[in-house]
Amino acid sequence: MKTLLLSGWTSNPAAVLCCAAGAALYFVLFGASRRAWFLAAAEAVVLLALASPVNALADGYLFSAHMLQHILLLLVAPPLLLASLPPTVSFPMHPVAGWLAGVGAMWFWHAPALCDAAAASRPIHAVQTLSLLALGSAFWLQILAPCESRRLRPLPAVLYLFTACTACSVLGIILTFSPVTICSRYMHPVDRLGIAGLLNGWGMTMNRDQQIGGLLMWVPMCFLYLCAIFSQFARWYGERDAEPTI
Amino acid sequence: MNEATLAPDSLAAERDDAFRRLAWLSTVDHKKIGILYLLTALVFFVAGGVEAIFIRLQLAVPNNTLLSPETYNALFTLHGTTMIFLVAMPALFGLANYFVPLQIGARDMAFPRLNAFSFWVVPMGGILLHLSLLSGSAPSMGWFAYAPLSEKAYSSQLGVDYWALSLFVLGIGSVGTSINIIATVLCLRAPGMTLRRVPLFTWMNFVNSFIVILALPVLNAGLAMLLIDRRLDAHFFMPSGGGSAILWQHIFWAFGHPEVYIVAVPAFGIISEIIPVFSRKPIFGYEFVAASTVAIAILSLGVWAHHMFTVGMGRTADLFFVVSSMLIAIPTGVKVLNWTATLLHGRIQFKTPMLFAIAALVQFLCGGLTGISHAMAALDWQTKNSYFLVAHFHFVIVGLIVFMIMGGLAYWLPKITGRMLSERIGKWTFWLMTIGFNMTFIIQHFLGFAGMPRRVYTYPDLPGWAWMNMVSTIGVFFMTAASLLLVWNIVASLLWGKPAGDNPWDAWTLEWATTSPPPHENFHELPPIRGRRPLWDYANPDRPDPVVGPVHAVEPAPPDKTKSAVLLFIFSETGFFLVLILAFLFYNSTPQPGPGPKELDLLKTGLFSLCLFASSFTLWRSEVGEHNRDNGSMIRWLAATLVLGGVFIIGQGLEYWGLFKSGVAVNTNLFATTFFTLTGFHGLHVCIGLIALAIVLGFAVGGEFKHRPSVALKAVGYYWHFVDVVWVLVLTVVYILPRLR
Repeated sequence: MKTLLLSGWTSNPAAVLCCAAGAALYFVLFGASRRAWFLAAAEAVVLLALASPVNALADGYLFSAHMLQHILLLLVAPPLLLASLPPTVSFPMHPVAGWLAGVGAMWFWHAPALCDAAAASRPIHAVQTLSLLALGSAFWLQILAPCESRRLRPLPAVLYLFTACTACSVLGIILTFSPVTICSRYMHPVDRLGIAGLLNGWGMTMNRDQQIGGLLMWVPMCFLYLCAIFSQFARWYGERDAEPTI
Repeated sequence: MNEATLAPDSLAAERDDAFRRLAWLSTVDHKKIGILYLLTALVFFVAGGVEAIFIRLQLAVPNNTLLSPETYNALFTLHGTTMIFLVAMPALFGLANYFVPLQIGARDMAFPRLNAFSFWVVPMGGILLHLSLLSGSAPSMGWFAYAPLSEKAYSSQLGVDYWALSLFVLGIGSVGTSINIIATVLCLRAPGMTLRRVPLFTWMNFVNSFIVILALPVLNAGLAMLLIDRRLDAHFFMPSGGGSAILWQHIFWAFGHPEVYIVAVPAFGIISEIIPVFSRKPIFGYEFVAASTVAIAILSLGVWAHHMFTVGMGRTADLFFVVSSMLIAIPTGVKVLNWTATLLHGRIQFKTPMLFAIAALVQFLCGGLTGISHAMAALDWQTKNSYFLVAHFHFVIVGLIVFMIMGGLAYWLPKITGRMLSERIGKWTFWLMTIGFNMTFIIQHFLGFAGMPRRVYTYPDLPGWAWMNMVSTIGVFFMTAASLLLVWNIVASLLWGKPAGDNPWDAWTLEWATTSPPPHENFHELPPIRGRRPLWDYANPDRPDPVVGPVHAVEPAPPDKTKSAVLLFIFSETGFFLVLILAFLFYNSTPQPGPGPKELDLLKTGLFSLCLFASSFTLWRSEVGEHNRDNGSMIRWLAATLVLGGVFIIGQGLEYWGLFKSGVAVNTNLFATTFFTLTGFHGLHVCIGLIALAIVLGFAVGGEFKHRPSVALKAVGYYWHFVDVVWVLVLTVVYILPRLR
C-alpha cells in the first residue's frame, strides 16, 4: 500500500505542462480573481486523475481505476473549469449536442476495441483524455455556462441531467453484469510497480474489477448527477423577480 | 390524435348525449372516472381482503389443514397481485384523477378518452386475472413469479399466463394514466398556478407519473419474455435451455422496487395535504418536500438489486447497493422531518383524516427503519426469508399506503359526495384499523426473529410461534371490522350525511374553491393564484402568504399537450426496448450453439433499413409541406412514407420467412429467441406507426388539415422518427456488433 502511494506518482510532464500552460493562459486572458481558485481545483482534479496513483493503477492494472479517471475527467474537472471562467465568456451549443457529447463520450470510449486501444497506445490515451475534458465541458456548459442566460432553465436542466444519468446507468449496468470482458488489456497486467501482490490481497480479480468499474459508473456517477439536479431545484425555488417562469 | 381535431362543442354535445344514456359507462369526466377507479379498488379490496383473511386463518394455528398447500399458494399469489395492482394503484390513481385537475384549476384531464380507456383496462385486467380461477388453475407462484417456477415446466396450467396478461394490460393502463397526469399538470394549469405553486399532492403525482412511465414498461418487457417462454417454448428464463432465471429477478425488481414508490409517493402526497390543514399551518419546507420526491424517484430506479442480496451477486455489487439503498433514507427522512416540523406548534385538530395521517407517519417511520435494516446485506441475509420482511413491507404498504388511502377518503369524500362522513364512526374505524394493523404486523417482526420463514402454508408447533400467529390472525378481524365500518360510513353519509359545504375543513387548495360535489366544468370562477394557498390569500387579504416565484413574470405558453403526450409515450417505450436490447446483448455476448447473428443477411436487411431511414426523411418533407400549408406536398410525401415503411415491413417478413424455411424458429436457441423478440416488437411498432400514419393520411386526403393547423402529423411524426431511431440501435446491436467480434 505504502509503495503504491509513494511510488505510484507518475511524472506526467505532458499533463503538468498542459496544466501550467492552461493556468498561464487563464491569467493572461482573465487576470487574477477569486474564480481562479476553481481553476486551481480543476487542475488539481486533472492531476489527480493523470499523475497520481490512480493513473498508475489505471495504466494496465485496474479497469475500475481507469473508470475513476474517466469520472474525474468527464464529470468533476469540467464543471470546476467552467466555474472558473468569467461571465463574459460564452460558447454557443445546442442542448442536444451537449447531451450527446457527455453521454456519447462514456459510451464511445467503452466500446471494447477503443477501450483497449486507449489503454495500449499513448497518443490515443492522450486523445481520450483531451476529448473527455472537452466533451465533459460541452455537457456541463448547459448547466454551468459562465453566462447565466445561456444556461438551461431549471426544469429542462433537471430532465437533461436525469436522462444523462439514466443513459450512463445503462452503460454501468452493462459493464457490471456483462459476462464478457470489456477491456482485455486489464486481463494480464504487467507488474511494473510490483503491486500485483497487493491487489491480490485486496481480493481483486478480473471479474470483480470490471464489476467495480461498472458500479462506479452506475452508482456514484448518478449521485453526481443527482447533486446537480438538486442545485437546479435550489436555483428554481430560489428564483425571484426579473426572470421568466416556467 | 383525433381528439385534437374535434371541436370542443361537438365533444360537449356528444358528452351530454352520453350522459343521458349510459352516464357511468361512457363517461369521460375525470370526476366520474375517479369515482369508478375508487369503486373498482373497493371491489378488489374485498377480494384481496378475503384472501388475506383465509391466509391468516390458515396460519392461525400450527399444522393447520384448513387450506391445501395449492390453495394457500394461489390465495397468497392473488392477494399480493390484487392488493398492489388492483387496489393500491387504482385507488391512488382514482384520487389523482379526481383531485389533480381540481387542484390546478383545470376543467378535466388533458385526454379524457385516454383517461376512460386507462380506467377500463383495470376491470379488464382484474377479470383476466380471475379468469384463471375459472380455468381451474389460479397462479400460485407468488406475485414476484420467480423463474423457473413460473415457467411451463413447473407451472404447466394457464394460471401464470392469465396473470402475466392481466399485469400486461394493467401496465398499459397505468402508463396511459400517468402520461395523462403529466400532460394535465404541464398543459392545463390555471393562470397563476405555476409549477412552483402546485399543491404537493399534485406535484408528487406529477413526479410519480415519471416513475410509472419508466418502470412499468420494464415489467411489461419481462412479462412479454415470460409469455414467449411459456407459449412459444423459448428459454429466456429457463436455465435448462441456456436462459437465466436471475435475469427475471433483475427485470422484476427493476420494476418492483420503483413500484413500491409508485404507490408510496402519492400516499406521501396525501399526508402532505392533510397534515398542514389539520395543523392550521402551511407545510414546513415545501421546497424540500418537493425536491426530495424527485430524489426518491431517481434513486428508486437504480437500487432494485437490494431485493437480491441473497441471490449471490457477489460482494462488490452488494456493497454498492447497500450504500445506494441506504441513501434513499435521506430524502425520505427529509420528508418525515418536514411533516413533523409542520405538526410542531400547530393547532392540531384530531379529526379522522389527521388521525390516519399521524398513524401513517409513525408506522411509515417504523417501516422505513426496518427497511434500512434490510439495506444492510449482512442483516438482510438473516432476515430476508422470514416474517420480519413480511412485517416490514406490510408496515409500508398497509401502515402508510392503505392508511393514507383511508385518510385521503376521509379528507376528500365530502368533496366527492357533498356530504360529511360521521366523525364518530370515522374514529371507530381509525382505532380499529390501527389496533388491528399493529396487532397483526408488529408481532410478525418477532415471529421473523424467532425464525418463522415466509411463503409457507403451515408451520410446526415451535415454542412461541403458535400464540404469536394467533395474535396476528386476531388483528386481521379488527382490520376487517374497520373496513366494514368505513363502507358503512360512506353509505350512511350518502343517505343521511350533513351537507359538506364547499370547504368543510377550511383548507387552502383549489379543490375547496368549488362546490361539493363540483359541477361538471369544475369551476365557475377561480380565486387569484399568487402562492401555494390561494384560498388562504383570498380569505385573508390583509395577511396573505408571500408570493411564490417571480411576481411580474410573463408566463410562457404551455407546451402542446398532444406533442407532450407522444414524447412521454416515447420515453416510456424507450424503457421497453432498452430491456429487450439489453436482453439481446446479455444472451448473445457469447455465441450460442446453433444459428447465430452471422447467418443474418446484412446486405438485404441494410437495403430495407435504408427504406426505413428514407421514410424519416420523407416524413420530414411532409411536415415541411404541412408547415407551408401545402396540402398536396404533405399528402405526397406522407404517402411515400407509408410506402417506404411498408417496404421495410415486407423486407422483415422476407427475412423471417427465410429463417423459418431454414428451420430457425423462436424456440430454436437463445439467439433466435432474442432476435425474434426484439425485431418482432420493433416490427409491431412499425406497423402501429403505419396505422397511425395511414389515419393521418386519411384525414389529410379528406381535407381535415386544410382549414386549421393540426399537431396530428407532428405528433405521429415524433413516434415514427423514434421507431427509426430504435431500428438504428437494433441494426447496430443485432446485425453489426456481432460481426465485429
